[in-house]
Amino acid sequence: MRKLGRWLWAGVLFLPHLIGSVVRSVPTALVQIWANKIRALLTVLGIIIAVTSIITVVSLVEGFGNYVTNFLRGLGTNMMIVYPEWVRGPRGEFLRRAEMDIDDIHAVDAGAPAIRRTSPLVWSSATIEYGRQQVTNVQLRGTNEAFQPIRNFYVDAGRFFGAVDVENGSAVCVLGREILRKLECDESIVGDYVHLDGQRFQVIGLLESKGSFMGENQDETIIIPWTMAVKLNPYARTHLAFYVEAMSEPQIPDAEGQLVRILRQRHGIKPGEANDFGAFKQDQILQQFNQVRVIATSVLAGIVSISLLVGGIGIMNVMLVSVTERTREIGLRKSVGARRRDILTQFLTEAVVLSTVGGAIGIALGYGFTHLASLHPDMVEVTVPLWSVLLALGFSAAVGIFFGIIPAFKAAIIHPIDALRHE
Amino acid sequence: MIATPPIRAVPSPPVIELVDLHKVYRVGVELVHALQGITLTIQENEYVAIMGPSGSGKSTLMNILGCLDVPTGGDYRLRGQDVSRLSQSKLALIRGRQIGFVFQSFELLPRTTALKNVELPMTYSGVRHRRRRALEALKRVNLLDRAHHHPNQLSGGQKQRVALARALAQQPDIILADEPTGNLDSATGEEIMAVFDSLHAEGQTLIIVTHEDHIARRCRRIIRLIDGRIVLDTARGDVWSPTTPTLTAAPAGAPVPSSTEGTP
Repeated sequence: MRKLGRWLWAGVLFLPHLIGSVVRSVPTALVQIWANKIRALLTVLGIIIAVTSIITVVSLVEGFGNYVTNFLRGLGTNMMIVYPEWVRGPRGEFLRRAEMDIDDIHAVDAGAPAIRRTSPLVWSSATIEYGRQQVTNVQLRGTNEAFQPIRNFYVDAGRFFGAVDVENGSAVCVLGREILRKLECDESIVGDYVHLDGQRFQVIGLLESKGSFMGENQDETIIIPWTMAVKLNPYARTHLAFYVEAMSEPQIPDAEGQLVRILRQRHGIKPGEANDFGAFKQDQILQQFNQVRVIATSVLAGIVSISLLVGGIGIMNVMLVSVTERTREIGLRKSVGARRRDILTQFLTEAVVLSTVGGAIGIALGYGFTHLASLHPDMVEVTVPLWSVLLALGFSAAVGIFFGIIPAFKAAIIHPIDALRHE
Repeated sequence: MIATPPIRAVPSPPVIELVDLHKVYRVGVELVHALQGITLTIQENEYVAIMGPSGSGKSTLMNILGCLDVPTGGDYRLRGQDVSRLSQSKLALIRGRQIGFVFQSFELLPRTTALKNVELPMTYSGVRHRRRRALEALKRVNLLDRAHHHPNQLSGGQKQRVALARALAQQPDIILADEPTGNLDSATGEEIMAVFDSLHAEGQTLIIVTHEDHIARRCRRIIRLIDGRIVLDTARGDVWSPTTPTLTAAPAGAPVPSSTEGTP
């Protein structure tokens, strides 16, 4: 124990010497690298590729991750969507959609204590005309007055339609901001009339801007009362989907259980038979995204480990060459008082500086690529996280130490007399 | 004893004391006796030439004197300290602090200024005021104006003077020069030897390994090795006595610097 303590203490006492020695070696190392610029660049190519991949991929994955998280928060965290499933034939082929009507929705609303509220959802698309402007293939959503709190998606000009509009099946609509932009008009459209698939609707409100998600622009949406939507699309009357908002986030599983029980009972599904409806929850989006994240991370890990290996071997090779080339220098340094550890530190520092310079170039390239990616209009906002920069630098320094130790050791043990005789 | 008064007046042990020094190499299965019992004392401010044909063991002796190698037998005391059985790292420290090397091929670091080259030994021994001391050393070899030049901007003689400054900067106990004029033309060689002479005059202890008589002639003492043994150890005045058989006689009219002549 005492011996161990003494060793540790010796280590601590040695530390200032080591740091000083490393610091003194850095300028020498930089001079050496600068003297062999091309060679150094080719040597650290593997490290550059590894670090560039780390920075770029981590930034993109993080960017998408933040985006998905924000999107889910924007959806309202307690929300799920229930929809009629396809009915399958005996060989598993799709036959038709199962039925789901407003009575099912009311039953769920009334019979499930873990559910705060529901809102029907009719899913289709339409062409909107306003004056001489026309936008085709716009998302058209039929729903009721509970849409706003459930989706956490509110109007910020005019009003949303109320229970009376839904009851009456009024021809009123609420427009997303992107529609407004495409129709080339401003908020004065509120109160005016537009045509949706040829039918006249009054614009009563404008939705706040929410941005796009996974290629679907949420601002390019028109919302009308579901009672009106099923008039336009009668098939939907018996094939309704609906939003469900649970009492709270932890109660989502309860809410799902309750609605499954109610719907199975109402649809007369026997035990052992599959549900004829599905429930889409947010954590499914997260799960899907996490799968993407896992794939991206493993591809990244593969690229990074291979290129770090290649880069490390390159560094080891070039350092071995350097040790041979500079044998006389080593001899000289030893004859003027350098100890083995001084030479070891010098060459190890050189390897680490070399690999860290590669890492720095990689970080710069990573920033460049990330910036380039963010120039694409549909790209989410990406920033390079600090931890990825530190990770990349750490990796490159570690590669320098790991692959530099053998050449440095080789340099350190050269006998000064042999070294000075070396041609 | 010596015409020029020593600057270090305090009596001290001999700078170098070798007692029955042996060095045996193993080459394959054969043993090579490079040094076969060298006993030698070198005092402060001596100016010694070590001569001998190749294979005589002078390089081996030089390496041991310079603490680059350790003897296999006998004792080596450097300023009273036994250095014949020290570890590599202790030897490195002694090389750094007590010995200044001058090599035939200068051995300056390329891409490094003269000043930084002179500072190099001091970075390893951790001396303070490195820059100031390096500048002083460069001043002593008359190269202050070249302090920031790189070796490839210097002539051979200037390079060797930088190397000398590097050896000097730490005020070593001995300066060991291995064929210091071997790569220089005779005029430049003279120039370097003049620097050695002036260092000697300042009290520095100098040991020069050479095979050139006219270089050895400038030293105060000549030690001649053959087959690992000292066959001649003489003050300079004796060297030129015609009865000395081991040395070639000087050519007629060879210049003998008279200003620094010592007493035989």
